[in-house]
Amino acid sequence: MLWYKAWLETRWRFLIGLAVLMGFACGAVFDYPVFVRLNASVSAIDASGHFGRLIREAVETQRTYRGFIWFQWYRQNLVQMWTILAVLLGSGGLMAASSGGALFALSMPVSRARLAGIRAATALLELLVLALIPSLLIPLLSPAVGEHYGLGDTAVHSVSLFLAGSLFFSLAFLLSAVFDDFWRPMLIACAVALSQTLIGALAGLPFSEMLRVMSAESYFRTGQVAWVGLGLAVTTGLLMLYAAVAIIERRDF
Amino acid sequence: MPDAIIATTNLRKTYGHVEALRGLSLQVQPGSLCGFLGRNGAGKTTTLKILLGMIRPTSGEARVLGRRVSDSVASVEIRRDVAFVGEDKPLFDYMTVQDVVRFTAGFYPRWRQDLEQRYLTTFGLSPRTKVKTLSRGMRAGLALLLALCRDARLLILDEPTSGLDPDMTEQVLQALVRHVASEEMTVFFSSHHIAEVEQIADRVVIIDRGRTIVAAALDDLRAQYRRIHFVFDDDAPAPVFRAKGVERMYRDGRVLTVLASAGAEGIVEEGRTLRPVSVDVVPVSLKEIFLESSGVEG
Amino acid sequence: METSFLRPNPSSGVPIYLQLIEQVKHAIETGALRAGEQLPGIRPLAERLVINPNTVAKAYRELEHDGVIELRHGAGAFVSADARPRQMKENVRAGQAIVAAAIGRLRARGLGEEEIRRLFEAQLAGLPRKGERSA
Repeated sequence: MLWYKAWLETRWRFLIGLAVLMGFACGAVFDYPVFVRLNASVSAIDASGHFGRLIREAVETQRTYRGFIWFQWYRQNLVQMWTILAVLLGSGGLMAASSGGALFALSMPVSRARLAGIRAATALLELLVLALIPSLLIPLLSPAVGEHYGLGDTAVHSVSLFLAGSLFFSLAFLLSAVFDDFWRPMLIACAVALSQTLIGALAGLPFSEMLRVMSAESYFRTGQVAWVGLGLAVTTGLLMLYAAVAIIERRDF
Repeated sequence: MPDAIIATTNLRKTYGHVEALRGLSLQVQPGSLCGFLGRNGAGKTTTLKILLGMIRPTSGEARVLGRRVSDSVASVEIRRDVAFVGEDKPLFDYMTVQDVVRFTAGFYPRWRQDLEQRYLTTFGLSPRTKVKTLSRGMRAGLALLLALCRDARLLILDEPTSGLDPDMTEQVLQALVRHVASEEMTVFFSSHHIAEVEQIADRVVIIDRGRTIVAAALDDLRAQYRRIHFVFDDDAPAPVFRAKGVERMYRDGRVLTVLASAGAEGIVEEGRTLRPVSVDVVPVSLKEIFLESSGVEG
Repeated sequence: METSFLRPNPSSGVPIYLQLIEQVKHAIETGALRAGEQLPGIRPLAERLVINPNTVAKAYRELEHDGVIELRHGAGAFVSADARPRQMKENVRAGQAIVAAAIGRLRARGLGEEEIRRLFEAQLAGLPRKGERSA
């Protein structure tokens, strides 16, 4: 019943997120023909400076379908929306039940570690699904625009996103163990996540390393999976979850 | 002397600068229906939460069913035999009545299906209603159902009848009496409704400012506490009584009033030596005992 | 039978068990309970009146001690068959006369109903000797 409870607590965030992501995945595929047409009618861009370079790189990358999907989906839409969902699902864990659900759960003969653990595990499973299922739509639908997208690529990118990005989930989860409200953990974790993904992507700043790992950029460009980056992210995430459970076990309710 | 079901020894709890509990010791015996009285802020909810492992004491020890509360493994074991109903009747608002019953029942192998059916009907609870739409009374009924059906040995309640209409209040009290009588349960409940405590409790613990002030059987309190009025011709004296049991003394013009927690006869004897015009001895209600014992630090 | 018991008043100066004892005696008085008849069980009565079962038990024990009822192990509480209830009835009647006379005399001294009631309560709650109560 603890799993069912965790499901009930996260269900709407998950289902709505899934619907939205699936919509955007379809959008990405069916955008391709439009993008190709637009590209054809635009001559070589003659922009200079830092942003000019970024734009030329973007255009270059998206010459292939694989590049287009990578750039639009795995580097932008999916990363951004999925990260927000990761933060949303991590916020307001045990305490979201500020109306008393926490006290009720705590009065059951169940350890706090188990309560928190099941809550975290449920959300993480949901996040894995949110990374995989919408992404699977792409190889499924690509033939409809006359293209092909590999299942292998889908798998690597989705799982990389999940492993690296779950760091943000863990951050939100840890913040929820410390703060009693829903908003503070969410806003803080969101700020951190956005600075890593969105801003990093725009400015090409150093800490967009996180974005590179989440979008499996080195795999995309060279076929080399960023094991170190993934390992670091997973380890950090696990440490944060461990810390969160430790805090939950010791604090007063 | 059977082992106490609840025993706290010198519990202390400090929040920053605030001392919520300042060395609180109390005991509750098995089979007792024990009332827990105290002003707001005296430390009642803190104490109850400590017993359930929701709050860690700063120092001191508490044992429930013989197990130490501060041991997290033991605390889980405690909750297998204890039912708690918090002041706001905490439940999962997003679940239906049926869900929350099934959720709770899943933790208690001795779950009483017969009582579940009975109380669903008694409290008018329909299985598919969402908990958050329940009226206050029905919510209390559900919380009580969940507590009573798990066949617990100890029931801890924080203000069980607060905000309930007279009918629901009656049902709650009746359920408590019924279960103590027939199921060998112990009940420890905090309340502001002194009349209710007087009605159903056999023992009472009064705390104030984080300490136990009174802990006694209600019958003993009724038998022992007396208010003695000495009326004098002139201004009343302010004697120092040798007899024990003087809790408070008030002088108002020609009247000296003594609140005695025991030994009223001895006090009257001594008082007569002061040559009062008249002596009156009247019983003291629990409400008065409560009001006198909390308030001015004695 | 349980339904004809009145709810005891927990806040009056009189302990609940004493109120119950009075009710049983009164019930025997008025014939609501007859010799040999069974009294309600301790638990059902406690539940019906919403009072602590120990209180009911205490009342029954005292009634048994006074010979008013018999506690038959395993079977329940029964009104005694012997003559004491009748003796009590006579005592109560005599008592009524005494009280009527006393109240008459107190009234003649100019004491009001409240004062008379206070005198009786104080006497019952307290000690042997008392002076008259002044303002």
